[in-house]
Amino acid sequence: MVESIVLSGVAIGCIYALIGITYNVMFSASRVFSFTAGTLGMLGGVLGSLFIIRLGLPMVVGFVLALAGGMLLGIVTELLAVRPVLKSLDQHLYVLSTLALALMVQQFTAIEWGTESRPFPRLLDIPRVTYDQQYWLPMLACIVAIVGLELMFRRTLVGRAFLAIAEDTYAARALGLPERGLRMASYALAGAIGALAGFAGGQMLLAFFGNAPMLTFYGFVPVALGGMGNNRGAVVAGLLLGLFQQTANFLVGGIFASVAVFTVFILVLLVRPEGLGGAATQRRV
Amino acid sequence: MSITRRQALTSAGAAAIAAGISKPAIAAKEPIPIGYLPALTGPSSSTGIGINRGIQLAVQEINAAGGVDGRQLELITRDTQSDPTKAVNAAAELTRGVKVSVVFGPVNSGESLAVVPLLARTKTPQVHPCWVDTLTDPQKYPMCFRNAPTNQQIGAAANRYVVDVLKRKKVAVISDTTGYGTASVNAYVPMLKSMKAEVVYQGNVDAANPDLKPELLRMQSAGAEAIMPWSVNAGFLSRIINTRGQMGWDVPIVGQTTLGSGQTKDLLEKPDYWAKVYPNNFRPVCYGAGGALTDRTKAFLDRLKSAKIDMGDTLLWWIALGYDSPHMIAQAMKNAGTEPEQVVGYLNKLKGFPGVYGDISFTPEQHNGYLDEQVVMVEANSLKNGAFNLAPGYGA
Repeated sequence: MVESIVLSGVAIGCIYALIGITYNVMFSASRVFSFTAGTLGMLGGVLGSLFIIRLGLPMVVGFVLALAGGMLLGIVTELLAVRPVLKSLDQHLYVLSTLALALMVQQFTAIEWGTESRPFPRLLDIPRVTYDQQYWLPMLACIVAIVGLELMFRRTLVGRAFLAIAEDTYAARALGLPERGLRMASYALAGAIGALAGFAGGQMLLAFFGNAPMLTFYGFVPVALGGMGNNRGAVVAGLLLGLFQQTANFLVGGIFASVAVFTVFILVLLVRPEGLGGAATQRRV
Repeated sequence: MSITRRQALTSAGAAAIAAGISKPAIAAKEPIPIGYLPALTGPSSSTGIGINRGIQLAVQEINAAGGVDGRQLELITRDTQSDPTKAVNAAAELTRGVKVSVVFGPVNSGESLAVVPLLARTKTPQVHPCWVDTLTDPQKYPMCFRNAPTNQQIGAAANRYVVDVLKRKKVAVISDTTGYGTASVNAYVPMLKSMKAEVVYQGNVDAANPDLKPELLRMQSAGAEAIMPWSVNAGFLSRIINTRGQMGWDVPIVGQTTLGSGQTKDLLEKPDYWAKVYPNNFRPVCYGAGGALTDRTKAFLDRLKSAKIDMGDTLLWWIALGYDSPHMIAQAMKNAGTEPEQVVGYLNKLKGFPGVYGDISFTPEQHNGYLDEQVVMVEANSLKNGAFNLAPGYGA
């Protein structure tokens, strides 16, 4: 039982962590919590199934196209749901605009793709074993994403520019950084990470339009617990969430497992409103 | 030639009488508008698409045979798009704008829950195939008839199969967290207990939960001898079947019709996992002993083949249900007339209407027309031409 809890808990935790990172990458560039993060995860699974099973494209091509689809939605999010409301961030209009876009994409997927779960392809042609690819692929994707982001932020000029924008938009712009272009690139990057989460977890989650709200909610938990904009915090919190959820599934089961998850979530935030890995932000006066 | 006043008045009177006589003659040739509210697009459209094939064929046949006393049936179709709001708007248009004689549909319970009270207020006869129990009530909705089973009949058939045929006394009942799922568990568990079965596991689980192993392990450790899932979500059902297969647990799965759908099959990790899965279905459209269909159903299949109606992507009972409905309505109109009270008066006394989907009978007090014994369980992995083999244990 413990093996089963750890295996599926870590796997699903990695998917939540990737969605949390998607939130963070968008947040860092714009100070906006875009609720399209879960929709991007859902699209990764749906597009993977569409390209590989329905259209019969090779796995690698399907993977690249699924990520490209995620990047496209990321850019559309920035253009349609974020940019128009950036001037009035304090009114939190982005909640409405990003949620509206997410719902539109979700409904469009339901109509065009269908409301039934559809199969996601076996990505590697190897026999099913206990430590199956459906479990370790999300783990691998999570490692690749977090290492890739760390390397990019620390070793590349573009990555440093991203950090500069995240740190202080006005100062970065004053230094001549193309804030608008970098923000759009951040949303494209977030789109790719979200789609990667859905693609890597496709064998567990299946190609199902209903994954969007589930990932939106559970993907937000690592962000809140790990600290906003803190990717390492999101990974740790995502893994803890997955393990706790799976343990609750085994111990109490059914809808009570969800109740247990959100009870702990609320309790943690009551004790540490800035999240487990976040630092209390100083307010400019 | 001069015309006297008397001649003029006589002529005018004759013309008026002639006009009065000719008017019903014209009306008699006018088509009879039948309102039809299928979900042809949107999330819940697979049922509507299947039913639509049968409806279209039936109306063509009825009209080709001369219609109802020389009047053609005109199907006024409004796609509800699987949306209760659109269904209500369409129903209002059909009754107040087009003024249809009868409405068939909606074909999904969610839409019918919104439409049935509206049609009752406009005193429009309605026939629908939705399973939610409250969708017929001769007191509240005296003009509404159901030519399909109720949820109670569906659950009772599955419970009978588990307890009486398979002789399993320890049962696990699981559903998703939708209204349908939770309502089904709440309704069927007491029924099982009244049959002296022990419900060793009862749970509602989010349909998007990717890992159902914890639930199945709990069922197994509780000693469950049969799993009864109630959900229309193919992903949820396939996860139950796949997990049972991964655990190597040889326990029958008995429940909702979606267990036997193509979507569920597509999500199975191995085709073998579909063995010992028994979904609900309907005896008149099932293969009996030796793979035989009833003569009525065999003749219907031939008609479908000659009309080149595709059965590969749908279920026979959906097409049969769609086919029977206009025939039943046309029979009522032929025998009683097209006025609402006439149609309802006839349906209230309908006895043994010989449908392909099943025999239908109504009384003024009972507007659920489907017979209990026609609801059966089938072998999920036996699907051929949209129909299934009866599950083991049923008599021929």
